[in-house]
Amino acid sequence: MNQMFLMAIQTIKQSIDTNKDFLTNLDGAIGDADHGINMARGFEAVMGKLNAEPDIDLSAGLKKIGMALLSSVGGASGPLYGTAFMRAAIPAAGKTVVDAQLASEMLLAATEGIKERGKAVRGEKTMIDALEPAYEAMKKGIQDGKSLLECLESACSAAKEGVEYTKTIIAKKGRASYLGERSIGHQDPGATSSLLILEALTDFCRKNG
Amino acid sequence: MIQENMVLTNELGLHARPASALTKIALKYKSNVTLQGNGKTVDAKSIIMVMTMGVKGGCPLVVIADGPDELECMAAIQDLVENKFYEE
Amino acid sequence: MVGIVVISHSGKVAEGVKAMADQMADKSVRIIACGGIENGELGTDAIKIMEALIRADSGDGVVVLVDLGSAVLSTYTALELLDEKERRLIKIADAPLVEGAVCAAVQASAGFSVDEVAAAAESARSMLKL
Repeated sequence: MNQMFLMAIQTIKQSIDTNKDFLTNLDGAIGDADHGINMARGFEAVMGKLNAEPDIDLSAGLKKIGMALLSSVGGASGPLYGTAFMRAAIPAAGKTVVDAQLASEMLLAATEGIKERGKAVRGEKTMIDALEPAYEAMKKGIQDGKSLLECLESACSAAKEGVEYTKTIIAKKGRASYLGERSIGHQDPGATSSLLILEALTDFCRKNG
Repeated sequence: MIQENMVLTNELGLHARPASALTKIALKYKSNVTLQGNGKTVDAKSIIMVMTMGVKGGCPLVVIADGPDELECMAAIQDLVENKFYEE
Repeated sequence: MVGIVVISHSGKVAEGVKAMADQMADKSVRIIACGGIENGELGTDAIKIMEALIRADSGDGVVVLVDLGSAVLSTYTALELLDEKERRLIKIADAPLVEGAVCAAVQASAGFSVDEVAAAAESARSMLKL
């Protein structure tokens, strides 16, 4: 389990590293031009901390990821993703196997954490525009009796639509909100990195059963 | 109520550090303390107001203290001003 | 005395503001600078902030000065990491960083409460410079 956990997070890191410039450029259009750099640095620190404790369990691991992101990302994504991972650790307490139900609980906790911390709701051009639809898709998937992978895949589709949607709206939070109408036409970097994370996890699930 | 007409003898006048020293004294007493200088009248207990008065060295500063401990308050402020805010 | 924590994305800015505030404050006022992230880059670090809040509190509470956006998010995250007792008397001042810190330093030195020190910091919003 622990090896799987580490590998899953490594998959996320790889995606972030691959898309570092893409994320930074998105952020350059409507932000500080550092989202990719910040996230890459964050996940570098995350792997450092996890590799130092390879036997860590799921819940403690998620908490550790959160704390590492808090200290190393630097920008707003630090406290936002940091809180997300720390909150996701709560439903994971004592669990060793991630099934669709647990995954949806963790996603809900993470999303609620971001909403609370960032004081954002859907439609403000943030991570929430990707994550909330993703959770709703997951929940529906569970109700329809779908497998973990199927749930994750529909979550990714919903998140992807969410990211597309962010192109059409005005930013109401963060640095982008200072741009007002000029932020329309640009996809939100935070929503994009959220999608990347979900896609990486889905990919991992697909390859590792 | 008592009033003293003082003159700032420290070179830089009522800039940030002397301003804060003066406000700190004013805050410690119950009496109301008003300052008049550079064409302004301000509450000595508001650090912002005192800091932005802009009273220069060599210029007059009128201090008005009004309350139960006005004598001690005025004496403390006088001591500070006479000693150039202990800066020089 | 109420303690003060100065939070900036920049370590240098936080140290500089602390130095200015120290000049105005009595020695008994704890002023902690908290800026930058682990490798010295620009950013805010909720864990570092949590540690600073604990160090600044001598029992009378802490007023926090922040620069931009994510400094507030990181501070709220830091507060969540503290326990109920530790975060009880901590207040973020909605004030300009430098001017707020200086005002807070003066008010804290005169022995005022967290609410009053935060209010003094916030009065700096009206400060005209020209």
